[in-house]
Amino acid sequence: MKLSTEKIGEVTVVTVLTEVLDASNAEEFKTATAPILKESNKVVFEISQIKFMDSSGCGTLLSFLRQLKSSNGNLKLCRVQEPVRILFELVRIDRIIEIFDTKEEAIKSFKMGI
Amino acid sequence: MTTVEKIKPLVLIVDDNSTNIDLLVNTLKKDYRLGVAKNGQKALDYTEKHLPDLILLDIMMPGMNGYEVCGRLKTATRTKDIPVIFITAMTETAHKTRAFEAGALDYITKPFHTAEVKARVKTHLSLKKAREHEIYIASKIQKTLLLGQPPRDINGIQIAQLTIPSQKVDGDFYDFFKINNQCFDLVVGDVMGKGIPAALLGAAIKSHFLRVLNELIRLTDKKEFPDPEKIISSVHSSMIDQLEDIETFVTLCYARFDMAKYLLSFVDCGHMRTIHFHADSNRCSLLRGVNMPLGFPEQEPFKQTLVSFQPGDLFVFYSDGLTEAKNQDGVLYGEKRLVDFVQKNAIMESKELINIIRKDVVAFSQSDIFDDDLTCVLVGIEKKSTSQALSDKAKLEIKNDLTELARVRDFVRNFCEGIPGFPLDNNRINLIELAVTEVTANIIKHAYGEHTGERIQINALLLDDKIVLQFYDWGKAFDPKSVPLPVFDGSQSGGFGLHIISHTVDEVVYSRDKKGRNCASLEIKL
Repeated sequence: MKLSTEKIGEVTVVTVLTEVLDASNAEEFKTATAPILKESNKVVFEISQIKFMDSSGCGTLLSFLRQLKSSNGNLKLCRVQEPVRILFELVRIDRIIEIFDTKEEAIKSFKMGI
Repeated sequence: MTTVEKIKPLVLIVDDNSTNIDLLVNTLKKDYRLGVAKNGQKALDYTEKHLPDLILLDIMMPGMNGYEVCGRLKTATRTKDIPVIFITAMTETAHKTRAFEAGALDYITKPFHTAEVKARVKTHLSLKKAREHEIYIASKIQKTLLLGQPPRDINGIQIAQLTIPSQKVDGDFYDFFKINNQCFDLVVGDVMGKGIPAALLGAAIKSHFLRVLNELIRLTDKKEFPDPEKIISSVHSSMIDQLEDIETFVTLCYARFDMAKYLLSFVDCGHMRTIHFHADSNRCSLLRGVNMPLGFPEQEPFKQTLVSFQPGDLFVFYSDGLTEAKNQDGVLYGEKRLVDFVQKNAIMESKELINIIRKDVVAFSQSDIFDDDLTCVLVGIEKKSTSQALSDKAKLEIKNDLTELARVRDFVRNFCEGIPGFPLDNNRINLIELAVTEVTANIIKHAYGEHTGERIQINALLLDDKIVLQFYDWGKAFDPKSVPLPVFDGSQSGGFGLHIISHTVDEVVYSRDKKGRNCASLEIKL
């Protein structure tokens, strides 16, 4: 899976370059992201490309969140498409992970504290 | 046209005096076929039967005189364009004036010179030929440039169209622009004026529409098709100078049919009122807009009107040639007769209905030749039941491999989008996609586990008020009660699947038959 990363200060922004994140590629997503999470504990996922996500995608994001929190960091999301947002509300991820409209807002939120 | 060129023109001589007849026959027999009538009634009978190319008509005859004969010929559509030349001894200006008023093209006084008769007959026949040639060209323009082809692949719609070109083509036009599989635009219009100028202007307007659509689409986001009122405004502002220069105007109706929303938005610019038949009440309403025809200099901004419709509804667009078709007493076919006829026969398929509209107008006017172009476009909204049989069942078989998930989603989306009347919007289809992904992933991961080479069968059924999606597998039995409730505090990565399924569809039933086949059945209410 293609990811593009960008380091802005302490924050790593990961742009996920796939339209679908479901059970068929959740493992692949996990493998591709693992090295990034070793390097940085403050990560923003820019997921505007993702049009479809399922519970496996959600589970993967939650496992990233737990991993980052255990190393005193955090995970934030930005630019979430409508169908994905509806899924997040259904499984209440929106109450656990902070979601921002823009990358800049997500980065700024890290500066104001984890 | 071609017959006129190949065989000699037919000239009818009408005179009660044998000497005059002989003289005219001798003058013309070398160059023309000739018919002779000795009184007014015989002249009318002969004309009706043989349609001569030109008539030489004596004024003073016993019984019906020449003025009356000419007047009668001019009122009938079939005979009114036949050139009439009066031949008479009466030389006073008042008589000549009256002859022209009766519809004569020319006048020859007795005693005449044979050379003059020959010359005038020849001149008027060549003028007639030129007029016929113009009509021929104009009708060619109409057939090839003015009348568009309806889109064939719009779901849930039947389009039928009718055109009867008149002897004087008058610039009726229509065209269709497909936006996507559920939406298309229809424009019907009528240029004031006749013949080649009207036909060319109609063709020019059609090309303006194409150009304007192109430009507007380029300017806006590709997903947003410009509104009808925006399209008409642009066409109007790009044509107003030309229309004013040639002192004419155009009535039209631009209508967009959105089959996803069951919504018609139209801009009517002084065109004939569109008939909307309502299947639920079995009544018709007439759609009229608020705009002036194109070509009127000071226009308020163009406004569109919204109308919703239902399965079984029908729309009838037409030109004034249809409602202004006359019978032999000069009575018009009329809007009311058309509305009543549509209401009575709306149950028919569009193609059948348009055929019987044609038959009714022809029977009413007792002629299949009309003064004006007659155009009519029917847009029928299909009843749900008629197309249900085509798409009420679908099947898919997949391997127990997670890479098949995308196929399952595509299959379900196609099925949902193909339901007549489009009861499921995109948001609901998104949720259904989510549900079927979870169901399929559960079967692959849990029912089949490590086994490869297994199959999953999926049936989609459309019933009256719901759709049912059934997933069959031959893996391990599944008891939903054995699955722990999901935890939403972020401490768990799994356990959301069943929660998602039960919150995205209306009902879920899991079962297992005696042969060891599991079935997960999802119901979605329409």
